[in-house]
Amino acid sequence: MSREKTEVPYGTLDLLILKTLETGGSMHGYSIARRIEQVSESLLRLSQGSVYPALIRLEQEGWIRTEWGVSETNRKVKFYSLTRSGRKQVQVEVENWQKANALVARFLEAAP
Amino acid sequence: MNQRRGLARALALLRKRRLERELSGEIEAHLELAARDAERTGMSPEDARLAAHRSFGGIEPMKEEHREQRSFVWVETLVRDFRYGVSSLWNDPGFTLVAVAVLALGIGANAAMFSLVDALFLKPLPFPHPERIVRVWEAPELGSINGINTMDLLDWKRMNTAFDALSAERPATAALTGAGEPVRLPVMLVSADYFQVFGVSAQIGRTFRKEEEESGASATIVISHATWQARFGGDPEILDRAVMLDGEPHQVVGVLPPGAFDRDETSIWKTLIYKPEQMNRGFHWLRAVARLKPGVTIEQAQQELTAIDKQLSDLSPDWKRDWGVAVERFDKRLVGEKLRQSIYIAFGAVVMVLLIACANVANLQIARGVTRRKEMALRAALGAGRGRLTAQLLTETLVLCLAGAVAGMGIAYGLLQAAKPLLGTSLPFTADLGLDLRVTGFALGAALLVTLLVGLLPSIQTSFGNLSQAINQGARGSSSSREMVRRTIVTCEVAVSLLLVCGALLLFKSLLQLQQVETGVRLSNVITTSVDLPLGAYPNSERAAAFYGTISERLRAISGVEQVSLSTDLPLEGVRQGMGISVPGRDGGSTIRYKRVDENYFSAFGIPILAGRSIQAQDRAGTPLVVVINEELAAQLKLHLELDNPVGKIVTVGTPNYLNSTGSSPPMEVVGVVRNERIGALDAAGSEPVAYVSLAQVPRQEVKLILLTQIPPATVLPEVRATLRQVDPTLALGEVRTMEQIHERSLSGATQPAWVIGVFGAVAVLLAALGIYGVVAHSVSQRRREIGIRMAMGARSFDVLSHLIRNGMMIVGLGLAIGLVGTFALTRLMQSQLFQVSALDPSVIVAACVCVVLVGIVATLLPASRAAMVEPVTVLRDEG
Repeated sequence: MSREKTEVPYGTLDLLILKTLETGGSMHGYSIARRIEQVSESLLRLSQGSVYPALIRLEQEGWIRTEWGVSETNRKVKFYSLTRSGRKQVQVEVENWQKANALVARFLEAAP
Repeated sequence: MNQRRGLARALALLRKRRLERELSGEIEAHLELAARDAERTGMSPEDARLAAHRSFGGIEPMKEEHREQRSFVWVETLVRDFRYGVSSLWNDPGFTLVAVAVLALGIGANAAMFSLVDALFLKPLPFPHPERIVRVWEAPELGSINGINTMDLLDWKRMNTAFDALSAERPATAALTGAGEPVRLPVMLVSADYFQVFGVSAQIGRTFRKEEEESGASATIVISHATWQARFGGDPEILDRAVMLDGEPHQVVGVLPPGAFDRDETSIWKTLIYKPEQMNRGFHWLRAVARLKPGVTIEQAQQELTAIDKQLSDLSPDWKRDWGVAVERFDKRLVGEKLRQSIYIAFGAVVMVLLIACANVANLQIARGVTRRKEMALRAALGAGRGRLTAQLLTETLVLCLAGAVAGMGIAYGLLQAAKPLLGTSLPFTADLGLDLRVTGFALGAALLVTLLVGLLPSIQTSFGNLSQAINQGARGSSSSREMVRRTIVTCEVAVSLLLVCGALLLFKSLLQLQQVETGVRLSNVITTSVDLPLGAYPNSERAAAFYGTISERLRAISGVEQVSLSTDLPLEGVRQGMGISVPGRDGGSTIRYKRVDENYFSAFGIPILAGRSIQAQDRAGTPLVVVINEELAAQLKLHLELDNPVGKIVTVGTPNYLNSTGSSPPMEVVGVVRNERIGALDAAGSEPVAYVSLAQVPRQEVKLILLTQIPPATVLPEVRATLRQVDPTLALGEVRTMEQIHERSLSGATQPAWVIGVFGAVAVLLAALGIYGVVAHSVSQRRREIGIRMAMGARSFDVLSHLIRNGMMIVGLGLAIGLVGTFALTRLMQSQLFQVSALDPSVIVAACVCVVLVGIVATLLPASRAAMVEPVTVLRDEG
C-alpha cells in the first residue's frame, strides 16, 4: 500500500458520502465506497468498511434513507439515498467545509 | 447529539439482533461485490477474495465502531455486567445471602426512618396550598402564645382582609348514644368556615353554612369518613339520620373524604354557637386556624391583626392592654421538640447501622476478592482493561445492593407496621406513614450510595492486583495491604458499635431513673375513667353536684369496689387549669395548678394529710369555700407571701365558673396541707404548687372517676357502665385506664427511643462481631501452615491461641479508643433526652466497653480455637 495516500481527514467522510449520494442517487454501500475511491483517484487511503458506521450515523440523523434492493450478485442489500433534509445538510456541510478551508488558507498565506 | 438520533440509538438497543444481522449481510454482499470486481481484472478467485478483504479493512473493529455509532454501548455493557453479576452471585449463595441480609437490614431501617422523617418534616401537609394555612393566637408578650377570647376573635373575623377564612376551634367531647354501646367521642367545636381553612369539602353532603353558627340554629354536625365507617357502618342514608349526641338529636350534614382527618383524634365537628355569657374579652378559651388569601404573607397578616387589636385595645380588660397577636405557620407546633429530637437521634443511629452494614459487606467483598483475583488476573491478561474490570465488579456490587434495597423495603414495611401502634397519638394527624414513591426513591438512592461505599475499594483492590503475581500465587499467599484494609474496616465497626451501645445504655439508664421517680400516689388497683356532662341536661352547678353525689354513691355499692373518688384531673397527666392565688391585704400573688377533688381523693391515692384536714363531705354548695394546698404551695406562700402556718388562713383563689366562660377570685379558707403528688410528667423538675378545691363547691362538667378495687377492669366495667346508665342513659364513659397504664404511658416518650436505639445498638454489635470473626477466621485459614510449623517446633496450643486472641483484641482495643472519642463528641447531643443521667455517665461507658470487649472475645475465640486444634502433621502434608 502506497505511503503517499492520506487518511480520510477527520469529519470529512460524512461530506464525501453525502456528496456521492447527491450525484449518484440511490447506491449500496460497496458502490459508495468504490465511488469515493474512484473520485479521489487513489489519493485517499480508505478502508471500505469504514463507510458503514458513517452510514448508520447519517441514517439516524435523518439525512439518508435506506431501501432494500438486490445487488449485482443477486443478494438482498440496503440502498442508500438522500432525504430532503439530507440535501439541505449537503449545502450546510459544503459551506462549513469552505469556511474552514478559507480560514486555514489565510493562516497559510500569512505565514512567512 | 439531537433528540432524533438519541431516540434512534435508544431504539437500536432493542433492535440489537436485527441490526447485527443486517450489518453482517451488508458486509458479505460488499465482499462478494468486491471479489467479483477483482476477478474481472483477471485475479484468481482466491486472490480476488483476499484483495476484497484487504481493501475492506478490519471487520471486527468496524463492527465495534458500528455498534458505538448506532447505539449506547455502555448500556449494553451494563446489561451484560448486570447479568454476569447476577449469575456470579447466584453461584455463591452463602455470601450473597449474608450480604443481602445485612444490607437489607441497613437500608430497611433507614427507609423506615426516612418515611417517618418525610411524613413529619418534609412532605407538605395533605391540603391544597398548605403554606397558606396558619394558626392565630393572642400573644401576652413577644414569643409567647395564648388562647383567644370570643369577642376579639369575632372582631378579627369581621375586620380582617388578610384571610380567606378564619375559624375558631374548641375541643370537647360528646356521648354518642343509639349507635351501639354508648361511647364518648372527641368533638371539635368550630366556626362555619373551618373546612374552608383546610380546603376540604365533604364527600357526602356538605360542610357547614354560615347560618348554622347563629344562635338558635338547629344542631348540625360533620363526621369523618372513619367515624362514618366505624360508628354508622358506612350507612349511605346517614344524612337522613338524627344522631343522638349528649341526649339531643343532631343532623349530619356531611361526611368528609377519607384521608388526613381520619387520623385526627376528632371524629365529629359541630358549629360553635356562642352563649351570651361567653361573649366577653377576658376568657381565653378558643384557638384559631386561618387560610391566608393568595399572595398575603404571614407578616402582613400579623401586621393587620395587630393594627386591629390596637384599635380595639380600649375594649380589653386593663390587665391585657399590651397583649399582641401572633400568626404562625400551621405546622409549627405539630411536632413537639422532644419527638423531633428523638427522631433525629434514631435516624443517626440507623445511619450508623447502615455504615456498619456497608463495612461488613465491603469486608466480605474483599475476602471474596482474594479468591477471585485469579479470575480477574486471567481476564486482564486476555485484554480486559482495568476500568472495565472495576466497572464489572462495581456492577456486581450494584446487583447486591439493589437486592438489599428490595429486601430492605420489606423490612421497612415490617418496621413501620410494628411502629405505628407504638407511635400512635404522638404523631400529628397530618402525618401519613407509609412506603410511597419518595421512600422507594430514598431506598434506591441509599442503595446507589452504598454501592459506591461498598464497591469502590474492594473492586479497585481486586482488579489492581499484580497480575502475574496473582496468577502464580497459590492459595496460601496473603496480601498484607488487603489485610490492613480489612482490619481498619473492622476497627471502625467496633468504634461505631461502641457509640451506639453507649447511646442505648444511656437511654435505658435514664428510663430506669424515670421509673424510680416517686409519684406520691398509689398506682396499683386503681381504675380510672371519665364522664362529661352535657350543658343541655346539666345547665348549672347544682345539677352537676347532684349527679356527682348520686354516681359516687351508686358506684360504691358495686361489690368489690373499695373506694370511689371524683376529680377533675388525674395524677401524672398534668393539670390543665392554671390560676392565681393571693392573700387578702398583701401585695403580689402566686400561680398555682387548680384541681377540683371530692372528699375521697386523698385517701384513694394514699396522699397523706400533713396538717389540718382533708376535703370533707360537708364542704358542699352553700357552705364556706375551702381549699387544701400541697407542701410546695405552702412553701411558696411562706416564701412569697409570708404566710406561715397556712391552715385556717383565708386566701383568694382564681376560680372559673361552671360554664368555663369567666371567673372570679373568691376568698377560701385553707383547711389542710397534703404531701406533694406528681401532677405532671415524670421528668419535670421539682414539684408544682397545687390548690385542691372541693368539687362539690365548684363543679365542672368533665370529671374523672377513680375506682379503688382488687377486681380486674374487664370484670368491673360492665357494672360501672350499667350504673351510669341507671343514673343517666345519655352519658357514656370515656377511656378506661388503670393508674399503672397511665404511669406506663407517661414513660413512653422515654421507652420507645431507648428500645429503638437498643435494638440498633445490638444489631451493630452483632455485625461488628461478624466482622471480627471474619478477620480472625481469615487470618487463621491463611496462616494454618505457619501455625502448623510453630506447633511442630514445640509451640503449645495455648501460645497459638493467645497470639490469635491478642491479634483480635488489638482490633477491639483500637476500635474502643476511637469509639470513646466519638462517644465523648456525640452523646452530648442526647443530653436533652436524658433524665438525671450525664451524657458521659462513667458507669454506662464502662458497661458499654465491657459489653463490646466480651462480644469481641467470643468472636475471636471461635475461629482461634479452631487454629489451636490444628494437627501440625496434617497441615504440613496438605500444603507441603
